[in-house]
Amino acid sequence: MKMKIWLSVTLAAVAVGMYFYGCSTQKETAAIGDDAATRTYVPPGKYDEFYNFVSGGFSGQLAVYGLPSGRLFRVIPVFSLDPEKGWGFSEETKPMLNTSYGFIPWDDAHHPELSQTDGVPDGRWVFINGNNTPRIARIDLTSFTTAEIIEIPNSSGNHSSPFTTENTEYVVAGTRFSLPVPNEDVSIASYKEKFKGTLSFIKVDKTTGNMGVAFQILVPGYDYDLAHAGKGPSHGWMFFTSYNSEEANTLLEVNASQNDKDFIAAINWKKAEEFVAQGKFKEMPAKYAHNVYDESTHTATSTMMQTVKVLDPSECPGLIYYLPTPKSPHGADVDPTGEYIVGGGKLATVIPVFSFGKMVKAIEDKKFDKEIGGVPVINYQAALAGEVQKPGLGPLHTEFDGNGNAYTSMFVSSEIVKWSLKDFKVLDRVPTYYSIGHLCIPGGDSKKPWGKYVIAYNKITKDRYLPTGPELTQSAQLYDISGEKMKLLLDFPTIGEPHYAQAMPADVIIKNQKKVYQLKDNKHPYGVKSEKEARVERKGKEIHVYMTTIRSHFMPDNLEGVQVGDDVYFHVTNLEQDWDVPHGFAVMGAENSELLIKPGETQTLKWTPKQAGIYPFYCTDFCSALHQEMQGYARVSPAGAKVELSTNTR
Amino acid sequence: MKKFLYVLAAVVVVGCSSGGDKPAADAQTPPAEAAKPKPNPKGYGRITEVKLGDIDHALAKKGGEVFDTKCVACHKLDSRYVGPGLRDITARRTPEWIMNMILDTEAMLEKDDTVKCLLQEYLIQMPNQSVDEQDARNILEYLRVAATEPASGK
Repeated sequence: MKMKIWLSVTLAAVAVGMYFYGCSTQKETAAIGDDAATRTYVPPGKYDEFYNFVSGGFSGQLAVYGLPSGRLFRVIPVFSLDPEKGWGFSEETKPMLNTSYGFIPWDDAHHPELSQTDGVPDGRWVFINGNNTPRIARIDLTSFTTAEIIEIPNSSGNHSSPFTTENTEYVVAGTRFSLPVPNEDVSIASYKEKFKGTLSFIKVDKTTGNMGVAFQILVPGYDYDLAHAGKGPSHGWMFFTSYNSEEANTLLEVNASQNDKDFIAAINWKKAEEFVAQGKFKEMPAKYAHNVYDESTHTATSTMMQTVKVLDPSECPGLIYYLPTPKSPHGADVDPTGEYIVGGGKLATVIPVFSFGKMVKAIEDKKFDKEIGGVPVINYQAALAGEVQKPGLGPLHTEFDGNGNAYTSMFVSSEIVKWSLKDFKVLDRVPTYYSIGHLCIPGGDSKKPWGKYVIAYNKITKDRYLPTGPELTQSAQLYDISGEKMKLLLDFPTIGEPHYAQAMPADVIIKNQKKVYQLKDNKHPYGVKSEKEARVERKGKEIHVYMTTIRSHFMPDNLEGVQVGDDVYFHVTNLEQDWDVPHGFAVMGAENSELLIKPGETQTLKWTPKQAGIYPFYCTDFCSALHQEMQGYARVSPAGAKVELSTNTR
Repeated sequence: MKKFLYVLAAVVVVGCSSGGDKPAADAQTPPAEAAKPKPNPKGYGRITEVKLGDIDHALAKKGGEVFDTKCVACHKLDSRYVGPGLRDITARRTPEWIMNMILDTEAMLEKDDTVKCLLQEYLIQMPNQSVDEQDARNILEYLRVAATEPASGK
């Protein structure tokens, strides 16, 4: 009886639901796919098919989403402080944010780039650039943490970065803002004479991933904007776009938009390696920080580097060529075959597609229009494969589906345009909401894209979401590209301002996941492996608490004998060896964030109490039914007090 | 419908004797006939049979070292701490049950009625401390030795 009532109520609810569903979608069927809901629905407890690594823009971080659901899993702290995870607050992580300018708590992160093996994302690392204080970070995808940050010397506005070569031999950096090299106090009006750009190649160790600046190429003071490496036949080359070939130093929106064509700089990096091996470089003094996080000591070290190798193109023939590219080009994108180089001229009316084969032939035949500072400028027509006519307004970036099609984002006309690599004809176009910047197809800049979706990363959301005051959410949109027509499936909000993003199948990354840090491998100098080793020691004005944590208590959890004027270091080791059981640690009044200590890890919170009294501390990450009992007290006495340093573990 | 309800209740609420920390065979049976648990003194997990010989003190020493690292944060020998005191554990549980609890903690938490009763009393799930099979065997040996020694207040 009851069962029957239930059933009819349920049926009625389903019917009403369907009725509403029908109504609300009727108006939008033209814009979104009919099956959008089922295509993006990932049932509770099920995994997404792809990871999507999305730049956090001016948040300085990297966000990780699932596709097709658009669910946010994690914000990985990279260049900016993150009190939630203690990033940049714990003693161990502070050195990661060190630079030649000192400790920098923030940056503007633009372009995530997955490491590749044989031109295909391999799921080992993801790199991302810091634009403001020029840096490249390497994030380890076994732990989803930032493992290394290297500063780029002789650089500013590190925008054309960190694009990788096909076996991650190098990631690159380039100057959007040229500078005097070395930087010095000069008149800004001396720009054309004194300001230079640099294009840097950062060697990546095959096994460890560790980065080092291998060499820099000194180039004219244009704004080097984006890059992509050659692959297959064009492996060994790197293509950087540049604008401001006018070399303007004021009101660039007018003064840098004069020339009909700017340039793509084509760098033969294998040749560069030869020149370096021949000693044709100049070793320049240059201070830059190299910060590495050691997973066994759970501690970062920052090393200040002192010199860099610089190549001058005028002394290295064949190192670099310019491809004239209309007009103020933004993206430089290489198709999966490695034959086509697509330039996104943001003020251009066409999308130029260069042929690598024709470029090589033009170089052999010396089809040069002129030379700039020893760099030959290749004749436009001689290297051109074709132009996409009437693509839309404001072409920026192009990704590929692996089925012979290219997808270009159109900023001004707010759309994605699909075109054929066979005849450069436009096949389809779909609106974005609104003002698309970058776009991403899983593996879309690699040799083997997984051409199922394209994601648009938009600059403006206007009326797409519930309003949140003057600043609205940032957003991405997911489109199905498995058929002839692109179909909008989903809007999802993002953090910061999303610039570039990359995606790849989840299964590759899942199988390498680290679940805990092995306690037996913990080599932190203040780490302890057992509650029995928990203790406190005084070294002059420093107090070191060797603390352990496990569900659900701290050891020690009572501390006396601290005096005003002491620096107290809580070195907290999480003894758990079970997945997903971090503990948090926070002290009342500490001018610091919390610690978040993962299983098997040791992290240190520095606390300098200023007044005598009792200070509670507690676990901030809900860990068990007795989490609320996970607390303790520190007693602070006036300087010179006769309270013995002690803990409850005496 | 009625039958279904009882089964559900049995799954959610495990009947536990007062004190909880008793061998599985002593656990009270739930009201419904259908839900009578089968006594399973060996617990659930990869260990189906342990052959005990004379006490091996070399194994026990190694077991003690692992115990001091991975267990003492929650277990004392002679008194309740986060979890139960363990000096007499070898008298209360089978060797297989002890090793399964160490090695396949999740399965034990999910399936073993004794463990469910313990959870009601201690309110905290025992973590899986990623101990390997040999170390679990060593810990068992350490606990066998502990059982022969008098209470020390440890």
